[in-house]
This record gives sequence, structure tokens and C-alpha cells, in this order.
Amino acid sequence: MTHFNQFIIWWRRLLGLDDPYPEPADPAIERPWRKRWDFLPKRSAGPGFTRSDYAAARERAREVARATLGDDLWETLQYQGYLDLPSRITPGLTYRLRVGRRIEVLCEPGVRSPWRFDYLCINPTYPLPEEEFFAQLYLYVRDREDIIRRVAAPQPWDQMLGRTF
Amino acid sequence: MGRIIVANRRGHQVVEWTDTDTEEARLQIAEAERILREAREHGCMVSKKVDGQHVLDTKPFDPSVEEYQIIAPIAGG
Repeated sequence: MTHFNQFIIWWRRLLGLDDPYPEPADPAIERPWRKRWDFLPKRSAGPGFTRSDYAAARERAREVARATLGDDLWETLQYQGYLDLPSRITPGLTYRLRVGRRIEVLCEPGVRSPWRFDYLCINPTYPLPEEEFFAQLYLYVRDREDIIRRVAAPQPWDQMLGRTF
Repeated sequence: MGRIIVANRRGHQVVEWTDTDTEEARLQIAEAERILREAREHGCMVSKKVDGQHVLDTKPFDPSVEEYQIIAPIAGG
């Protein structure tokens, strides 16, 4: 949650107004957008997360990633290890998505990339299992390439993402 | 029956609602709508299942949708 939102909620509570974000009916539902995660080390889900928690999270993430992508894309990903998505903005440019890694930008001969480097570093703002984030990133690239263009941090080398695990 | 997949570090958690005409169903739908709105107001995207595949969606919550998913905001670097 942003400091501004926290400030607004604090004032509303002080004035006796309704809380715009009351506690959920099921407190077990974790809403990661309510917290800040900047303090976390890379590739971590946070303090108190056990080895079995990581294993369970990754297993559940796999189910959702498959459901998000659909069986055909999931099988393709398992077979070739990546999914390619052609740009709708720049013909001849392809985004190559790999689980837990930076996006690779591929350009056909004669096509100029809008970025100086070939790898785009894009992370979720809160920790997610890497297969789950892969499926989410796929949706962003396919449906909202404008956001990818706006937030991507181009890098000269490949590397694992820091906010996934 | 509809559901929201809340993707988080637990892998995911699910908020469900039924479309029966009962007070309990109305409360479930209100809760689901509130979660979706709250997530959007904090910068999340939302996808919904269409023909077996998820697509990003900006329309208001619709209880007849089979499945929503809350998509994390993204940042470079």
C-alpha cells in the first residue's frame, strides 16, 4: 500500500468515516498489494517462509500458470522452454519469455529495437512464484504491450528476476 | 459459481461466490467485488477467463464471469 493510501485511511479512521479497505471476510486471504516488499532480499518470499511453504507455493503456482495460459501454450512452454510473442507495436520484433528470467528482445534483420539492450528486466512489485509471474507477464506482453514499453528496464545481459522465487 | 484467483507468495488463494439468490451469495459477491476494486486501486491488473483463456480486463466486476485473476503490478529493474 502506498504511503498516500495509508495516510488517507488513517485520516478516514480518525474522522470516523468508513474504512475504504476494511479487513477481508476471510483473513487468511493474503493481499500483497497492501504491504511494501522493498525490504526483502532477492528471490525471497519473506521471513517465516519455510522450505515446505516454498514447495507448496510453487506447486500451486504451477496450477494457476497452466490455467492462465491454457493447455496448448503450457505444453509449448514445457517443450521448448520459452514462449515467443510478436510485438503489436513494432513489426519484426519478438519478445521471448522464459520462466524466472528477463525478457529477451529479438529483432528480424533491419528492424530497430526501441531499447539499447536485448534483455528487459521486469519484476512484480510483490514476491510471486516464478511460474505464476511468467503467466502474468505473458498477459501483459500480449494485452498491454504499452505498459511493458513504459516500465521495462533494458539490460545488457540475461539474469534471473529478483522478485520471483 | 465464480472465483477470483488471488496470486500471491502462497502461489494463489481463491475467493469464491455462488450466483444463487440468497443473502449469503450477495455477501460473497460484495466481498469479491470489493477485493477486485481494492486490488485495482493499488495498481493491480485483472484478467478474466474467456473461452478457456485469460485476458486482461478493465471492466467492472461481473458476477457472471467464471474466473478472475488479480495480476501483480510490474516495475522495471
